[in-house]
Amino acid sequence: MKPSELKKLINQALDPETDTGKIAERLQNEGVSYDFKDGFTEKITDRLSSVSLVLKRETEFRRNLNLVFYRIAITGIAAIIILALSIFIAQDSFSFNSLLGLGDSYDETIVCLLTGN
Amino acid sequence: MRVSYKLADDDELVKASLDGDKLAFGEIVERYRKNVARTVKGMLGDTVYAEDIGQEVFINLYNSLGSFRGEAKLSTYIQRIAVNLTLNEIKRRKRFFSMFSHKGNEEMTEVEIADAGNEEKVEAKEIVNKALADLDPKFRIVVTMRLLQGYSTKETAEILNLPLGTVLSRLSRAQEQLKEKIKLL
Repeated sequence: MKPSELKKLINQALDPETDTGKIAERLQNEGVSYDFKDGFTEKITDRLSSVSLVLKRETEFRRNLNLVFYRIAITGIAAIIILALSIFIAQDSFSFNSLLGLGDSYDETIVCLLTGN
Repeated sequence: MRVSYKLADDDELVKASLDGDKLAFGEIVERYRKNVARTVKGMLGDTVYAEDIGQEVFINLYNSLGSFRGEAKLSTYIQRIAVNLTLNEIKRRKRFFSMFSHKGNEEMTEVEIADAGNEEKVEAKEIVNKALADLDPKFRIVVTMRLLQGYSTKETAEILNLPLGTVLSRLSRAQEQLKEKIKLL
């Protein structure tokens, strides 16, 4: 295509009334075409795979963290139940004093304990 | 499981991509890479960072496929992403150059090297690249949509998310700027 013809096409494309579909097609046939380098698609799929791998690792880490939390929480609850049961067995009651370990104590013994006399 | 998606339509490809099928997304990339290249390279020139922006367009598309409702065509949706990323890159580069040098608008400097057997074709491409190069980005994007993509003014307005009147006035301003420039090419 001669440069003069090409310039005419460019001018035509700027006219709002022109159907530019045909102009664009003609330009492409004349070598005014654009593309990315070879391996473009592969690069993108590789990048997506690495992104999804990171996401997968993050999800796994979160899941493991949750699991650890539940294990600690369940163990803690079990320990509290066992402790409460042992107090009940030892003190024969669930009163506030027995839970604090003061079930068998009298005021005098506490004063002695605190003052050391 | 499907091996090839060559005959699949865009909706099928989107659904399969959302299910994590990389082959389906690869087909979307293959189908629209030239379309994106026309916008990105038409705006930024045949540069290394145009390749990077091209990749970003498809990575963004993959990440936003979940919010693609199918109200617009997939090609329009991809074009919008390409236009936004390209204009952002131009702004970013302009800021960078204005900070470190006085060369304000140098985003289009690299032009493809002439191929010996294809000189006439390369010349045509060079003329188009040079014509676009010095235009203000807001005019260049409108010309790129019309000249390289072949979109109507209505489609251009839809993709650029601008009123039709704005597109028409930008087109007319671009015409004025190009008239003088083309004579010198």
